[in-house]
Amino acid sequence: MGTQMSNLDRQDRLLGYIFISPQVIGYLIFVLYPLIAIMVFSLQDYNLLSGVREWIGFENYQTMFSENSLFLKTLKNSLVFTAGLVPLNVILALFLANLLTKPIKGVTAFRVLVFAPVITSAVAWAIVWKFMLDGENGIINQLLALVNITGPNWLRSPTWAMVSIIVVRVLKNVGLNVVLFTAALMSVPPQFAESASIDGANSRQVFFRITLPQIMPSVMMVLIVTLIGSLKVFDHIMVLTAGGPGNSTMVLVYYIYYQAFQFSEPGSASGGAVVLFLVALFLTLLQWNFRKRMSYQET
Amino acid sequence: MRILKGLLICVFLFSAVFFTFANGSQESSGETAENEPVKLRFTVWSGNPDHLATLNGIADSYREDHPNVEIAFDTIPFSEYVTKLTLQLSGSNPPDGGWLLETSAPTFIDSGVLAEVGDHIKSIEEYDYADFSDPAMELWKQGDGLYGIPFSTSPFVMFYNEDLFRQAGVPTPPEAIENGNWTWENFAESARAIKVETGKYAFQTFNGAGYDARLFHTIVPILRAYGVDMWNEEGELQLSTPEAYEALSLYHAMIFDDKTVEPPGTQADFFIGDAATTISQISRVPKLSDADFEWDIAPLPAGPAGRPWVIGQAAFAVFRASKHPEVAKEFLAHLTNKENVAKLAQFFPPARVSVIESKAFVEANPGLTSDQMEIVQQGIKNGTVLPSHVNFPKISMEARGAFDSLWQADADVKATLKDINKQLKPLVETD
Repeated sequence: MGTQMSNLDRQDRLLGYIFISPQVIGYLIFVLYPLIAIMVFSLQDYNLLSGVREWIGFENYQTMFSENSLFLKTLKNSLVFTAGLVPLNVILALFLANLLTKPIKGVTAFRVLVFAPVITSAVAWAIVWKFMLDGENGIINQLLALVNITGPNWLRSPTWAMVSIIVVRVLKNVGLNVVLFTAALMSVPPQFAESASIDGANSRQVFFRITLPQIMPSVMMVLIVTLIGSLKVFDHIMVLTAGGPGNSTMVLVYYIYYQAFQFSEPGSASGGAVVLFLVALFLTLLQWNFRKRMSYQET
Repeated sequence: MRILKGLLICVFLFSAVFFTFANGSQESSGETAENEPVKLRFTVWSGNPDHLATLNGIADSYREDHPNVEIAFDTIPFSEYVTKLTLQLSGSNPPDGGWLLETSAPTFIDSGVLAEVGDHIKSIEEYDYADFSDPAMELWKQGDGLYGIPFSTSPFVMFYNEDLFRQAGVPTPPEAIENGNWTWENFAESARAIKVETGKYAFQTFNGAGYDARLFHTIVPILRAYGVDMWNEEGELQLSTPEAYEALSLYHAMIFDDKTVEPPGTQADFFIGDAATTISQISRVPKLSDADFEWDIAPLPAGPAGRPWVIGQAAFAVFRASKHPEVAKEFLAHLTNKENVAKLAQFFPPARVSVIESKAFVEANPGLTSDQMEIVQQGIKNGTVLPSHVNFPKISMEARGAFDSLWQADADVKATLKDINKQLKPLVETD
């Protein structure tokens, strides 16, 4: 079949390539080329200011992974940030979505309230939170003082700074996941839950045994998107802590930004970007694999 | 599929070849025919309409003799100035010249992106290069070359809120100077009274960023009052010296024991009356035009080593990547001649001795009295520029991270300073 292609088949095939060529060319120039360029840069000692580049093999990676390097600390911080943010975001979103699909009076207003931070500028959100988390005059510590609790200096404490950023970011972005879960929950036929209830299942069993498996494809999709988003966090770090105190909130993208634009070293910045790409790819593949096993609707 | 594979291979090969042989920017030959139309672009970080009007006025006066030259001043916000300038210089349409801050000087000079301007400047007899004070030019020299002409040599001064000092019943800085006790130690004592009597912080760090971007600007005046600096002229770090310990112990106690200094993570803006003093430069005076409190400026507090005078500097430079470096150098000479430095002096304290000493300079700034301008004049004459280094961006970042351990209430100041010294050593003591 393949060896003796008719002229018509060839013309069809050529026409097909012509039709997809704008997309392919766009992909090659704007996606593949930068990706390859980053990999090439990561093998160079490249001074952005002087423009001088030298091939140095894997030296950038060796420096990044040397003992006590800032990069290793950064990598650990990114993983801690992801491990804190993803479960908190997804569990809170599921909880809120579950509440917001109940026939409660004024539920639409609550949905708007939960979604409003998503359409707010990330920088404006972070600036407001920076004032709220102010060690002495912030509203958070003033509220805690009302119940005789002395709040920490949230953004300057190596222990609390990361926790604060995770919470600020979850509150900013959880609304989007709530909307996705709400849509998924509303698509589950109510008869399933009714039948289970008639068979004696309580509400917890209905949720975990009936509803959750039904919306598992959405849960996995939300997990992947939230995970990738958490690895790419930059804006909140930049505004709230600038990577401090003592580099305790220095995460991968902020590290990359610093290497490229403050130190004028795109070579080591690209090394960081390659590692970020690989980490995101690995975790996504892991989740994808998990998705197939968890979701009976998937093949 | 084969076509796709082929395309992929082509892209990869093209990338590899391009990145292997691309060799950065090259210096232009700089030859420009006399009447050939020339467009010059100078980058600045000020968007202030008055600054730009003065600069454009100077450009217009240059065009009277050079009608073929068009000059544009391109504003890049201060916070992203170095980043954007670096990207523009590595791109295909680099600026011809621009402003540079003292902290960027060694890095830019060392990387070879600045054009040597000394030969051209010194060849113009009426320019009077000797009018620039030697200390002011030091930072912009490397070997026999000169790579920038300072346009702003702005001393650090102490801004103070007279109302808060009066309310606390403590002597104002000029009164303390008169009594011979305007020192950090006495200020720490007055600061306690200010906090108790007014409830306000006695000191806001430099531009409110003294624990981050303006760390050096805040602690160098204290260190110098005690006779040391971040590093000395030989490039040796001085943070583990007894003098540095004494200076920063006092400052640490002011922050965490007395709670008189705006602490990390809190904003106490002097310019809206939330703090009694701050260290800053006279470019901030316009922020006080609507102040509802009495304010003034004073020299920095002294210490065991005397009164420190610290200067922040910015210069005009010509970039090697300019398509018309010779024209750009000629315009640079025009920008920084006596007449134009005097025009710019209303905003930017100059480095030309004849302008600094002129009566016109003392009366130049509409926001400051001649007495206040005399303090500025004194600062320019006696001051030394903030420490700078070829590794400054890395040192600055490492220092901010390292000093975060000192900005904790329970920090052991001596041990922490020793640690900071150790952390910064590989970056500072490179020779």
